Amino acid sequence: MTMLKIEVCVGSACYLLGSQDLIEMIEGLPEDVKANIDLRGSSCLKACGKGPNVKINGELISGVTPDKLMEIIKYNIQRK
Amino acid sequence: MPQVTEVVKLRRRVLTEIARLAFEAKLKQDVDSILYTVVTEEGPRYRCCVYKERAVLKERIKLALSQPSDLEINEAVENALRGKIADMPVINIMPVACDQCPIDKFIVTNACRNCLAHHCINSCPKQAIMVVQNRAYIDKNKCVECGMCKKSCPYGAIIEVNRPCESACDLGAIKAGKDRCAEIDYDKCVQCGSCKTACPFGAISDRSAIVQLIQAIKAGKKVYAVLAPAFIGQFGAKVKPSQVVEALKKMGFYAVAEVSLGADIVTLEETKEFTASVPRQRKYMTTSCCPAFVSMIGKHLPAETNSVSTTVSPMIAIGKVVKQREPDAVVVFVGPCTAKKAEAEQYEGIIDYVITFEELACMMVGAGLNMAKINEAVFETSASRDGNSFAKAGGVMQSVMDMVDTVAPGTDIRPQSCEGLQNCMTAIQQIISGKSDINFIEGMACEGGCVGGPGVLTNMKVTGKLVENFSKSAKAITAGENEFAAAEVQSGVHWHRE
Ligand code: SF4
Ligand code: SF4
Ligand code: FES
Repeated sequence: MTMLKIEVCVGSACYLLGSQDLIEMIEGLPEDVKANIDLRGSSCLKACGKGPNVKINGELISGVTPDKLMEIIKYNIQRK
Repeated sequence: MPQVTEVVKLRRRVLTEIARLAFEAKLKQDVDSILYTVVTEEGPRYRCCVYKERAVLKERIKLALSQPSDLEINEAVENALRGKIADMPVINIMPVACDQCPIDKFIVTNACRNCLAHHCINSCPKQAIMVVQNRAYIDKNKCVECGMCKKSCPYGAIIEVNRPCESACDLGAIKAGKDRCAEIDYDKCVQCGSCKTACPFGAISDRSAIVQLIQAIKAGKKVYAVLAPAFIGQFGAKVKPSQVVEALKKMGFYAVAEVSLGADIVTLEETKEFTASVPRQRKYMTTSCCPAFVSMIGKHLPAETNSVSTTVSPMIAIGKVVKQREPDAVVVFVGPCTAKKAEAEQYEGIIDYVITFEELACMMVGAGLNMAKINEAVFETSASRDGNSFAKAGGVMQSVMDMVDTVAPGTDIRPQSCEGLQNCMTAIQQIISGKSDINFIEGMACEGGCVGGPGVLTNMKVTGKLVENFSKSAKAITAGENEFAAAEVQSGVHWHRE
C-alpha cells in the first residue's frame, strides 16, 4: 500500500496562518489512519501569501483548513 | 477547535500587510490597497457584503496603527509614521464589527412542549413566565436572570445565552451598551485581552505599535528586543531560540536580551521583600509581574494594594538593565501580553514599545523573513532555570520559594499560585476573610500563565513543555546562582516602584 505523503509548510508565513492546527489535526487521527500517512514539515513551499500551504503527494494546495485537509485525507485513504 | 480561526487570520493578514508596506516605505501611498488585497470581491465573506467588510477593515487598520477611529485613514497613517501612538486604551471595541450578540440571557427554545407540569412557571420567583402560543414565554421586564427556569425544565428547553465577550471578562468590565453594541468600562478593565480572544467576530482588538517600531528600526536607532521567556516554541516547535534571535537581528534589531534575566532580578528582590515584610508589616504578599493582576487589585480590591510586591516586573527590570548600559537604546518588549502595553506606559523612558509574538511574526513575514530558514546556532540563556520558568503559571512562586530556601531557610512561607483573574480574586478574598492562611500569592491573569496569553501563536500545552525543556538547559538553577543577575542587583539600580 502506498503512503499518503503530506508535507505541511511550517515557514513563518504559513505558521502565522495556522499550519500548526493542521499538524495537530493529523497527529490526533486514529492510529490506523495515521499508519497510512507520511507527515513531513517543510520550511517553505514557495506560495507564502496564500498559506497555510500543504503538498499532498507532491501537489500543492493553498489556504488549507483542518476540515479541508480532513476531507482530502478521507478521500485519498478510502480510495486505496 | 482550531486555534487559528478566520477572524484570527484576518487580523494577521492586516498586520502583515501593514508591516510589509511600512518596511517598503509604501504605507502612505498604498494603505488603501489593504482594503482590496485582504478583502477581495470573490470572498471569502465574513460579513453581509464586501462594503461592510471594508468598513470593518478600515477600523482594524486604524487600530493597528494605534490611532483613534474618528481619524481618516491617511491621517492615521501619517501619525503612525511620525511615531505617534494615540492616547487611547490598549483594548478597544470596533463598534462596526460588533455583531451585537443577543442580550436575553435565558431563551425558551423549540424544545418546549408546553407540558402540564409547568415547572418553569412554578419555579420563577418573579412570575416572569407565562404560556404564549403553546410555549413558555419569558417576560423580559420581569426576568431577573436567576436561572431557576432553566434548572427546573425537565426537557432542557430553556437555554442560557451569554455574550462571548461578557463571559470571558472575569471583572464584569464589558457590557451591552447603546444599540446593544459591547462597551468596555475602563474603570474596571485591566487590558488582559480575554475578551479579544473570545469575540467570534473579531470586534475587539489591541492597538499595535508595529509601524512606529518599524520606523525606529529604519531610522537606524539602537533597537533592543527584550524577549519574554514564553518566546520558546512560539514560532513553531521546530524553530530554535537561536533562529528567533538571528531573525530579529536580520530584521534590523540592534541586540536581543532575555526578560528571564529580569525575572532572576525580580526573584532576588521579591525574596528580600517577602522575608522583610511578611508577617510583620503585612499579612501576605502577592507577586507583581502580571500587570493585569496588579491592575485588578488596584481597581477592584484597592484596600489590598499594600500587599502587592513593590518589586518591578521582569520587563521593567530588564528595561532598566538595558537603559543603564545604553541610555539611547530603544527597548521593545516582545511577549504574549496585551496588558504589558499599558504597563509600559506607566514607566516612561524604560520600555519604548511592546509588541506581541503575533505582531512580531507579522513583522517578520512583512519583512520577507522566514524564521524556519534561518541558520541554527547555539544559544545559551543568560538566566537561570527558575527565571525561564516565569513563563508558566507557578514559575514565579517556585523561584521565590527556591530562593527563600537558600537565603532564609525555615521562613514560614505558605504559597499559592492562581491562574485567571476570578481565581486570583477569590484567593485574596479568602485571605481577607480569614478562610485561608496563605501568605504568598502568585497571581496570573491568564490560564497557564504567560504561555496562555492573548498574544501567543502556539498552543500553551506545546509551548509549556518546550519552555520547561529549555529552562533545564540553563547552567544556573536558582536566581541566586545566576551571577549576571547578582551583579545587576548590586549595581545600585532601583528595582522597586517609586
Ligand atoms: S462577542 Fe461581544 S464584542 Fe463580539 S460581537 Fe458579540 S457582543 Fe460584540
Ligand atoms: S478586563 Fe480583560 S476581558 Fe475584561 S474588558 Fe478588559 S481586556 Fe476585556
Ligand atoms: S512559508 Fe509556507 S509557503 Fe512560504
